[in-house]
Amino acid sequence: MNAVRPGTGAASRPLAGLAAVLLLAFAHMPVAGAMNEAQWLARAAVAAADNRNSPFAVIDKRNARVFVFDARGRQQASSPVLLGLARGDDSVPGIGERAMAEIRPEERTTPAGRFETEPGLNTKGEDIVWIDYDAAVSMHRVRATQKSERRLQRLASPTVADNRISYGCINVPAAFYDAHIKPVLGNRRGVVYVLPETMAARKRFAFLGRSEQRLGTQRGVSPAG
Amino acid sequence: MNSTSKLIAALALGAAGAAFAQGNPPTTAPPNPATAAGQQSPSGGAMGTTGVTPESGAATRTTPPTAQTTPDTSTSSSTTMAASGDTPAMRRARADRN
Repeated sequence: MNAVRPGTGAASRPLAGLAAVLLLAFAHMPVAGAMNEAQWLARAAVAAADNRNSPFAVIDKRNARVFVFDARGRQQASSPVLLGLARGDDSVPGIGERAMAEIRPEERTTPAGRFETEPGLNTKGEDIVWIDYDAAVSMHRVRATQKSERRLQRLASPTVADNRISYGCINVPAAFYDAHIKPVLGNRRGVVYVLPETMAARKRFAFLGRSEQRLGTQRGVSPAG
Repeated sequence: MNSTSKLIAALALGAAGAAFAQGNPPTTAPPNPATAAGQQSPSGGAMGTTGVTPESGAATRTTPPTAQTTPDTSTSSSTTMAASGDTPAMRRARADRN
């Protein structure tokens, strides 16, 4: 039977399929190419409306950079950042309740995933952006209070490896924070995507999996596991 | 059973319910006549010193009654200040992981 069966959302299926094809096409582009992983994720998030039509930020841990995007996924600014000392994509359970001195070096991770952020204050009255309030992970202006950590120098250096120094927070150059982070995330709820460094991005971002599933349905094959 | 019969049955059931509801009519008579004849606490207050009404007793309080209705904000510091939309209620300040 060749009759076309109009189903629910049938009109949007071709567009969804096209979007999924475009997303996966971008996914295979090299990081050093015209679009890096953060930009690719930003486009995928906007295509899936995961950013709730609001500006957002993407943290690329592997390259120790933050990218700020507008609501349509256009990159507005980028800067080096400092991240947790330890490599890993999860916070140790209960770490937010522990004193800094009790956190072991291997526990100083910056968690990866999608975080709904909120502006807040730390106990010193500094305005910050909470990435994960319960885990005490925030994005804030870089603090040079501990001279031996040489945080300012680490931010200024061209290398990435030395940008791993914090206890999990994301340290941003003060000028960049005031110019780009605070206006976007410092006055309202927002979304920050932290790219994982130990696994594929689709394992941390549900909307990427949905895109792949849609593509698999279009092709009549099972989505890759 | 046609629709007319159903309607009549429903009306009959409703009337019976109304009759049951009227089975215990309200009364102004006190349930305990002995108490009613003797000393009573005015305004339903506790039986205390003769001649002391709840109103005059309240005058000796040090805390105004309205203070009891004021929410204790000190115990709800983790989620303070109502907010709407994307403007969040700022949570209690806490130490971050630097």
